Amino acid sequence: MSEESIYESLLRKGVSRRDFLKFCSTSAMILGLSSSTVPKIAEALEKKERPSVVWLHFSECTGDSESVLRASKPSIAQVILDIVSLEYHETIMAPSGHAAEKSLKDIITKKKGKYIAVYEGAVPTADGGVYCFIGGHKAIDICKEVGSGAMANIAVGNCACFGGIPAANPNPTKCVGIKDILGGTVVNLAGCPMNAENFTAVVVHFVTFGTLPALDKHGRPLFAYGKCIHNNCERRPHFDQGQFVRQWGDMGHRLGWCLYEMGCKGPMAYQNCPTIRWNEGTSWPVQAGHPCIACASPNNWDDAYPFYKRMEGVPGVGWQANADKVGLGIAAATAAAVAAHGIIRAATRGKGPSDKEEGH
Amino acid sequence: MAKLVVDPVTRIEGHMRVEAKVEGGKIVDAWVSGTMWRGIETILKGRDPRDAWLFVSRVCGV
Ligand code: SF4
Repeated sequence: MSEESIYESLLRKGVSRRDFLKFCSTSAMILGLSSSTVPKIAEALEKKERPSVVWLHFSECTGDSESVLRASKPSIAQVILDIVSLEYHETIMAPSGHAAEKSLKDIITKKKGKYIAVYEGAVPTADGGVYCFIGGHKAIDICKEVGSGAMANIAVGNCACFGGIPAANPNPTKCVGIKDILGGTVVNLAGCPMNAENFTAVVVHFVTFGTLPALDKHGRPLFAYGKCIHNNCERRPHFDQGQFVRQWGDMGHRLGWCLYEMGCKGPMAYQNCPTIRWNEGTSWPVQAGHPCIACASPNNWDDAYPFYKRMEGVPGVGWQANADKVGLGIAAATAAAVAAHGIIRAATRGKGPSDKEEGH
Repeated sequence: MAKLVVDPVTRIEGHMRVEAKVEGGKIVDAWVSGTMWRGIETILKGRDPRDAWLFVSRVCGV
């Protein structure tokens, strides 16, 4: 842990008390905690030292780092860089070459058992792991070395969580997620990229309560991945009324109707995008008019694929039924459709592709 | 003659190694290599072309 408390560090950077408390209540909200926990969070952030973080990159695109660095409110980037003491991060650190390697060695030796390890990217295992080298060392070896001395391991983005894009069929480099290498508890902040606000919330939880948040069977925190996107989607009333976009730019698309017919995988996807959104809560893919690609689901690059093909058997549309049958689009039929919707939903539970994910 | 190695090269996306041959204080030869390969071209083969952008936009996320 570095000596400065999170609050002190924020003050030094000019964050006001008011913004600090706002940050505490936002964190409580994201974590699904009641407002009565806000003082506890504030107290912890005021007193506790910033945890040291070692952030590693393997087979990845750095999109998750971008997600963090481009975040805001009051510049979440600033907050994240203040709530943690980022000791190693290749994209933004000054040293390179031997000096970079030395700083990694120093941190994991001096702070053994006291740092949080964050992983971005999958670990290639084909041909002895030769497809990702850093400083002349294989990713798989670095992962094991750093992971064994960490007090908590957090995988960010679908590549680190489940293998992601490089693990898509035929997985040329036999990429796997961090948990497959380390075993034990790995927090999977899934998504492509992960949402920075969820990362911050996990760190706040860890600093405040000294524990990691509850996880689902895929290692994803329940506060962020406990709800189906389809059930929280702002386009859902259109789905229920059978109002579907059928062509890019058609009237339905312009009016913000449901994207199910265009291939939306929201019904199989679990993440808090509809509530937290992205870029300062500005928007998220479905709001912007693009179907969800289930980017936080394991194997989404194969299971949610093809992305522009309609999913079959979505609960609510009725098993074996399709959107055309539901898409009556007549106001008078809406009440009946909504009532039937509940029945079909109950009858088809456990059969639809949404169950690919299970575990909730 | 000295050989200079910079690995990892930081403040970039991805993984890179630079080797340089130095003679009399001057670089006389240099090699740069990307030290990570995912095979996204291989993964794209046989897929629906409309999906390609979702894959290739993740070659680099910066
Ligand atoms: S199918 Fe997609 S766009 Fe339609 S309601 Fe569900 S999540 Fe929203």
